[in-house]
Amino acid sequence: MADIFNSMIDALSDLLGQGIYVLPEIILMVAAVLSPLLYFITKKGTASAVLTFVLMAVSAVVTCIMMHTVTYGTAFGLFEFDAFSSLMMLLFLAVGGLTVFISQGHVETTKHKGEYYALIAGAVAAMMFVASATNLVAIFVGVEVVSIFSYALVALKKNDPRSSEAAVKYLIIGALSSALTLYGMSMIYGVTGSLDLYGPDGIVAQVSVMAGNWPFIIGCVGMIAGYGFKISAVPFHSWSPDVYEGASTPVSGFLATGSKKMGFAVILKIFLVMFVAMETGVLSEDFQMVFAILAAITMTVGNVVAISQTNIKRMLAYSSIAQAGYILIVLAVMSQYAVVGGLFHMFTHVVMKGGAFVVVAALITAGLGERISDYNGLAKRAPFAAAAMMLFLFSLAGIPPLAGFTSKFILFSGALATPAGGVDLTWLWLVLVAVLNSAISLYYYARVVKAMYVEKPQTEERLPIGRAFTVAIALCVIGVIVLGVYPNVLLDLCSTAADALFALV
Amino acid sequence: MIGMEFFLVFAAILFAIGLYGILSSKRGLVTLMSIELMLNAANINFITFASYSGNAAGQVFVIMTIAVAAAEVAVGIALMLNAYKINKTTEVDELSTMRW
Repeated sequence: MADIFNSMIDALSDLLGQGIYVLPEIILMVAAVLSPLLYFITKKGTASAVLTFVLMAVSAVVTCIMMHTVTYGTAFGLFEFDAFSSLMMLLFLAVGGLTVFISQGHVETTKHKGEYYALIAGAVAAMMFVASATNLVAIFVGVEVVSIFSYALVALKKNDPRSSEAAVKYLIIGALSSALTLYGMSMIYGVTGSLDLYGPDGIVAQVSVMAGNWPFIIGCVGMIAGYGFKISAVPFHSWSPDVYEGASTPVSGFLATGSKKMGFAVILKIFLVMFVAMETGVLSEDFQMVFAILAAITMTVGNVVAISQTNIKRMLAYSSIAQAGYILIVLAVMSQYAVVGGLFHMFTHVVMKGGAFVVVAALITAGLGERISDYNGLAKRAPFAAAAMMLFLFSLAGIPPLAGFTSKFILFSGALATPAGGVDLTWLWLVLVAVLNSAISLYYYARVVKAMYVEKPQTEERLPIGRAFTVAIALCVIGVIVLGVYPNVLLDLCSTAADALFALV
Repeated sequence: MIGMEFFLVFAAILFAIGLYGILSSKRGLVTLMSIELMLNAANINFITFASYSGNAAGQVFVIMTIAVAAAEVAVGIALMLNAYKINKTTEVDELSTMRW
């Protein structure tokens, strides 16, 4: 079996040269180009959806084969395909595949099917480029492509005032964040004279002499603010509830699980590596403190504001802000074990948050409203969807033995563990804040569960759940349970990826 | 030769004007223009650093940025037009049906 893979990879690398290291992205770009064309010829949205889904699957298989045969390397000096970037690529492909899978049966999706699938495929391709980029130009352009595609995706739910309003807000805040990022990058370029992140003359190699260098600090602050918008860290979060509420539900799920993880990939690739390279300097400790405070504020604001929400998509948006706060702990702690926990939490977040958005999308298609009070008595009207929603929400809150508990446990304990196996109490306060926040979050998740199982329904009428939705929900349920009970399936990959990330230093 | 700091201060002032424009103006289109100012301030920085250090990478970045900014404005104006057709306004204050 391994021989077949090896000969396949050999043939491909003869054909493509260095291009083989960006092959997964190229396959998706083909999907992005062909999908509108196919829709133009056939006039059937299903054709575009199937094409995009199949090419995403092909891309995922190629990525897996390249990971399996350890075909790692650099393309054109810009894109490094390694254990970290390939794992992130699989995450983005999973998110994109889930979105495409449920979009065709969803009622809010636009009639411009060809463009819709092209935008999703293009955004996933750009996310994958960002995950493997090693140069500031590639990172900036990739993130911008994802942003521009997402503005269009949000606005594609036409004739809805909320959607157009959300798109304008997203555009203004997103463009502001990219301007801040660009100004920060220009400062860093001025100080280091390089746009490459790694390598002997790269930015990371020069950070150890940057303590007290104020243009460098301005550059870092600009980039932290810019990418803070992307991951919706408080105080840069104000766009995300509006956007998730205004966009059609599959797109909200796509942004919450995909676009946010891209922000984390960038922050890990730039800041984590940079700060680890600073070792134990004064500057590094200052930045660790900045990220610790950002993490604490983000999770607290997200959870506290989520309590008062009445719209389920808005509540999920605030809970997603809180989850970003948990993952930010990685940047404060900066240990390898914490990175493993952070990567694992990103994956479990995809199944549980993505699953919750799929359930909401299925119920909207079945004719249910978005208010939490509309979910009263759902257990009688749609038992499967209600049970799945309960699992996803409890997993988000961190109840064992679901995936959210396992990943939070690994993440929080990673913040306290030392490489030698001892306990380091430096970040105990942050972990305590995170645990208290998990307790707060249980309150608003349980409120939805109470509405579904305890409250009386207004009508006893059954809600029909589409077949594609049922399959997608079932897959997410399996993911939530399997990743919770057998985390080792993914943990090994996550720790290889963390090794690769730390090898860049 | 003119000192590098003049260009950098000029870019910083341009950036500040753009930021002020975004924070103070209520009009969607003025916000887009302010964002252009901020992006171009960063571009001036890049060109200054590139030309004083003799490293061409910064100039390449500027060309990329110009292309990206053009795409962003194209999509941005389409979104503003869409918002105007549906909500009859592009004033950012009046686009506020969703809060908290």
